[in-house]
Amino acid sequence: MIEVKNFTKKYGNFVAVDNISFVVNDGEIVGLLGPNGAGKSTTMNAITGYIEQTDGEITVNGYDTIKRSKKSKREIGYMPEGTPLYMDLTIKEFVTYMAELRKVNRKERKAKVQEVIEKVGLSDMQNKLIKNLSRGQKQRVSLAGTLIGDPKVLILDEPTVGLDPKQVTEIRSLIKELGKKHTVILSSHILSEVSQICDKVIIINKGKIVAEDTPENLENKTSNSNIVYITIEDPENKIETMKDKINGIKNIKFIEELEDKTKKYEITANKENEDLRKEIFKEFAKEGITIFEMKKPEATLEDAFMKIIGEGGKK
Amino acid sequence: MSAIIKKELKNYFLSPIGYVVIGIFLIAFSAFFYLTSVASSEINLTYLFYYTALYGLMFIAPLITMQAIAGERKSGTDQLLMTSPVSIVNIVIGKFIAAMILIIIPVIFTLMYFAILAHYNLPDIPTYLTSILGFLLLSMTYISFGLLASSITESPIVAAIVTFAIVFASTWVPYFVSSLSGLSLMDMFIKFLYGTIDIKALVFFITATVLCLVITIILMQRRKSVG
Repeated sequence: MIEVKNFTKKYGNFVAVDNISFVVNDGEIVGLLGPNGAGKSTTMNAITGYIEQTDGEITVNGYDTIKRSKKSKREIGYMPEGTPLYMDLTIKEFVTYMAELRKVNRKERKAKVQEVIEKVGLSDMQNKLIKNLSRGQKQRVSLAGTLIGDPKVLILDEPTVGLDPKQVTEIRSLIKELGKKHTVILSSHILSEVSQICDKVIIINKGKIVAEDTPENLENKTSNSNIVYITIEDPENKIETMKDKINGIKNIKFIEELEDKTKKYEITANKENEDLRKEIFKEFAKEGITIFEMKKPEATLEDAFMKIIGEGGKK
Repeated sequence: MSAIIKKELKNYFLSPIGYVVIGIFLIAFSAFFYLTSVASSEINLTYLFYYTALYGLMFIAPLITMQAIAGERKSGTDQLLMTSPVSIVNIVIGKFIAAMILIIIPVIFTLMYFAILAHYNLPDIPTYLTSILGFLLLSMTYISFGLLASSITESPIVAAIVTFAIVFASTWVPYFVSSLSGLSLMDMFIKFLYGTIDIKALVFFITATVLCLVITIILMQRRKSVG
């Protein structure tokens, strides 16, 4: 379990992270989300002991990150942003070095090194120099370095940045798999990624937590539930009169005409959470308007993010 | 700490630095052996150490330490090091020991010259040993200067230049500033070349080394909280 209490980090007069608190329970995958410079990396750096907080307290599995840093560091596997690696070493040499730094038992070392290299799928190239690897492979090497020594907590700073779509999918499923046995904190600015992998999302902006919830809840909270999109065939242009025929409609907005002469509209209901779809279906049929498609807008984390960040900005 | 020493040594020999350092030392030793012993028929290795310290070490020390901390910060690998359960003290001492080993290797090669001279006439063994001691003490001080310089910047080149400047100043400034006379590291080193262990110089070298390493550790620790 990771407990962050009133964590503040200042650089001179600049407040990078301002009094944030959160808890990550055992076995949870938590996503830190936020625009660049929001304080994601700063928070991760403090948890891993790379930097020390100006104020507040951070404990990892009960160990204070400053007072008992050696213990807390042993609990954590950290994959820093940009996956820094020793380019002149081979994959095996690098992972072995990390194993030595993390004080993996000498007798078990060889086997453990092989185990994590296999886990990230690099066994067949373990004697290759890291500088000759592709971006995705380097990311895997970094992940192997993170996993060595069986840390209970994994901290992954932008683990999929700069990868091609296939590699992204691979790394994601690997992280999801790891989440079964480890407590994971990962940062990202790719929202779909976080909603796919994480149990909980913490949105940080300008050094403050602006939202903390499950991805689903965040999506629901911010979806525009009184809007329906329809695509209709309406040669007599009766749509104009529909607003009077259905009481609940507040507004009908034309969006576009498609190639097959059907038209797309956005219908807004009077009340929040009012679902007009049933009524629209009945009344439009009566008037001889053919409905080709009708759907509620899909709420994405993207919307949630923009809405929350936007609100935060206005405050 | 042994992991860091091993890794640093490996890195020296994966990059050209290790070979360049040993190469320069061997060339310097050989050249000065020829000039100061063979050409002048002296059964004495003192000058060999003197000239190598004066003309070799000054350039080699910055080369050895420039990457040590600055290089790690530049590539970001310091994040791996500083978040591993190894203390900063062990990291700095590990890097220091690795650098010293890189100097001790060529110094061992001087046995070869000792053997060559012994073939003609046995050189004074205590003088040979105190010369090595003085040479290593001077190296320790230079290396600790280098680590300190490497910890204040992210640029290995800047680290090398700063180290060279400190080493150069510590050798020559005392000759020109009368209030500092007697503080020349070179002068202190010379005392060891006469077969005696100068306690004052010994204490000075060790104090300077420890001081520089402690400051390096404090600076690295401070960076964690200040940024």
